[in-house]
Amino acid sequence: MASPTQGEDSDDGMDEFMEKFKTHKYKNAFNESNWEEEFDKVPMFMKTAPEDIDPVKHPDLACLQSIIHDDERPPEEQAKSLKDEGNEYFKEKNYTKAIVSYTAGLKKNCSDSDLSAILYTNRAAAHFHLGNLRSALNDSISARKVKPCHLKAIIRGAQCCMELRNYAAALQWCDEGLKLLPTDKKLLELRSTADKRRRAAERDARKSKAKEKKKQTERGTLLAAIKERGIRLLQPKQPQHRGSDSEEDGSDDGTTAAMAELYLDGLDSQEATGAQVYLDEQGALHWPVLFLYPEHRQTDFVSAFCENSSFIDHLAVMFGEELPPWDTERKYHPQHLQVFFEDHETQHLYEVDVGTSLLKILQLPCCCVQAGTPSFIVLVKGSPFCEQYFSNKKVRLLLLKPLC
Amino acid sequence: MLSDSEAKELLSFLHLDTRADVRGQATEYILGLTGTRDGCRYLQTQPGFLKALITLTADSSIAIVKDCYHALINLSADETLHETLIKEADILPMLFRNLLDPEYVFADRICTILTNLTRHERTCREVFRVMQEQDVGLAKVVEIFCIEGFNKKALLHYLGPLLSNLTQLPESRHFLLDKERCVVQRLLPFTQYEGSVTRRGGVVGTLRNCCFDYMYHEWLLSDAVDILPFLLLPLAGPEELSEEENEGLPVDLQYLPEDKTREEDPDIRKMLIETLLLLTATKVGRQIMKEKNVYPIMREFHKWEKEPQVIASCEKLVQVLIGDEPEAGMENLMEVEIPQDVEQQLKDLDTKEQEQVEKETLLLLRQEAEKEVVEQPNMQNPEGLER
Repeated sequence: MASPTQGEDSDDGMDEFMEKFKTHKYKNAFNESNWEEEFDKVPMFMKTAPEDIDPVKHPDLACLQSIIHDDERPPEEQAKSLKDEGNEYFKEKNYTKAIVSYTAGLKKNCSDSDLSAILYTNRAAAHFHLGNLRSALNDSISARKVKPCHLKAIIRGAQCCMELRNYAAALQWCDEGLKLLPTDKKLLELRSTADKRRRAAERDARKSKAKEKKKQTERGTLLAAIKERGIRLLQPKQPQHRGSDSEEDGSDDGTTAAMAELYLDGLDSQEATGAQVYLDEQGALHWPVLFLYPEHRQTDFVSAFCENSSFIDHLAVMFGEELPPWDTERKYHPQHLQVFFEDHETQHLYEVDVGTSLLKILQLPCCCVQAGTPSFIVLVKGSPFCEQYFSNKKVRLLLLKPLC
Repeated sequence: MLSDSEAKELLSFLHLDTRADVRGQATEYILGLTGTRDGCRYLQTQPGFLKALITLTADSSIAIVKDCYHALINLSADETLHETLIKEADILPMLFRNLLDPEYVFADRICTILTNLTRHERTCREVFRVMQEQDVGLAKVVEIFCIEGFNKKALLHYLGPLLSNLTQLPESRHFLLDKERCVVQRLLPFTQYEGSVTRRGGVVGTLRNCCFDYMYHEWLLSDAVDILPFLLLPLAGPEELSEEENEGLPVDLQYLPEDKTREEDPDIRKMLIETLLLLTATKVGRQIMKEKNVYPIMREFHKWEKEPQVIASCEKLVQVLIGDEPEAGMENLMEVEIPQDVEQQLKDLDTKEQEQVEKETLLLLRQEAEKEVVEQPNMQNPEGLER
């Protein structure tokens, strides 16, 4: 600066200035205790940029920023700076911030379509890496609107469609790209993958359709077999229809309703395994059967009771060799057991001849299968519990013996 | 035919600015000439008429344009006319220009003419050369062939046989089978195109021709192209295969629905099998086809097929699929040197087999005739499908 005094005077001025510090503390000196922190705040010496630039905490940084993003400059320049800023964030994998920068760049609405296309495409990439596929796709579309031949946008669009599993659309994007550059390796690869996945998806659809169909036919055959035998299935979930059900033969209400009911884990016991009646290769039905022992509040679950087997066949196995641990009185020998079927509507107990086959019992008119699982009560003949049990129920001790 | 002065007079009527009815009658007369072989031969000596026809395709009267194209189609069916049409009459630029026009109403007729012109190798080569020169290129033809509804007024199905004819040239096969681009892949879905037997047949013919170059086999069978499912799908039926067999098949052939039908044209079926046979020429090809479980498909096909010619091809294919590998030195069936006497034996066997097949075919035909089945004659099939 021009001063009237030169040479020595300025020196003197300097000396004077330096003299001051001997007595006065430099006002803007760093605090001794936290000088490292302060150091970090100086833009030139910062090691990393802070996440948010708070003008109060970092006035210098805020200043610098406003110089870079000076609104006085032409929009193209501003947009370009924002693009560069976004790219920096992108490199650091800070995609959220990158998106903010790109968005700001796009807001400048500059007339440079190439730049806009790049901003859209880059933002699409950032969204893509964040998993915002729809936004990424929209940005790719916007990029193409601005510049239809922008190959990177096309590639990104195709990738988005792939991730969204819209393979037909992905193929379309690839083909549009290949029109512009038929030898682009990335596009060729994408196209090949999209086609492959599309065909695999079609196969999967066919496979599940075939399986479903098979299931339906099997269900149909099963229901037909049950109906053919004259066995009645009860649908406990619809109590209002109960009355009409017991009059009807089989389940004419439609196979799905009855079959749905067969799927019900409507078993009271904890042993519900989701087992279901099935038809074997010789055409015999195998039912899941529940045996109830009210005396000891126990149950046994037979997952596949062949309709041609008799009760005694199973009882002999279940109680023949070893008596169950809950049989404290050791009295549940097969020859002493009585099997009953309870008609839940009438609350009548019907005794079952243990030598009869399951099929014959199920075919009797008073018998209804509930929740797809026939259940039977097992008591010990003549036991005190038996008598007590009978006194509570309306026992119709009709021996269920089928007419030959 | 016509005297020189008569010809001169007639030619003078064939201008765009002549009176419409005169123009029309003159064109009709030429058309009549093209209906006979002598007429065609005469016109071969009169390139002036050919040029006029070509010019008049731009006529304002649709009837005249139709006649012109009809005449040109007839002329192109005669090989002796080819050189004159291309050299002196310079028909190709007009054809290509209009072919690429998505609004051109007569595009289908152009396809027919081009198919006729490409039937024989010499002219085919010329057509291909001009195509590349005029910047039309095979790429463009494939592109418009594959775009559904490129031309709303024309179906462009005859581009199929055109491509098939073009692929008799190694240079065009080379282009279609470009590994750096996606060209042949675009044609593959059309092996199942239900809308047109012409288009389908053309594509299958094209693929068959391409398979003569065994250097490409491995690439064709790889994931990059994956030609196999597209050849097998038209031959696969609704029969249920075991889960095991299904899982071993290419993805597109797994769990086919109950209403799946097979290719209804026996010639196309035969071409498909021939293509598959070609692919078994190399060891790698055979390996891949065995791995991909082609055999069960052909087994079911064999049970279903009735045409003796096709059955014979099928049996040949099955033999390779389930047979042992040929001995060392013979792995590439296309390169095997067949000694003279063996060659003669094979020729004799072939003749015998052919006779047998023909006998069976005759028998079938006789039976069919007895049933009094009325067959629809094939529509004007331009020559060139069988290549």
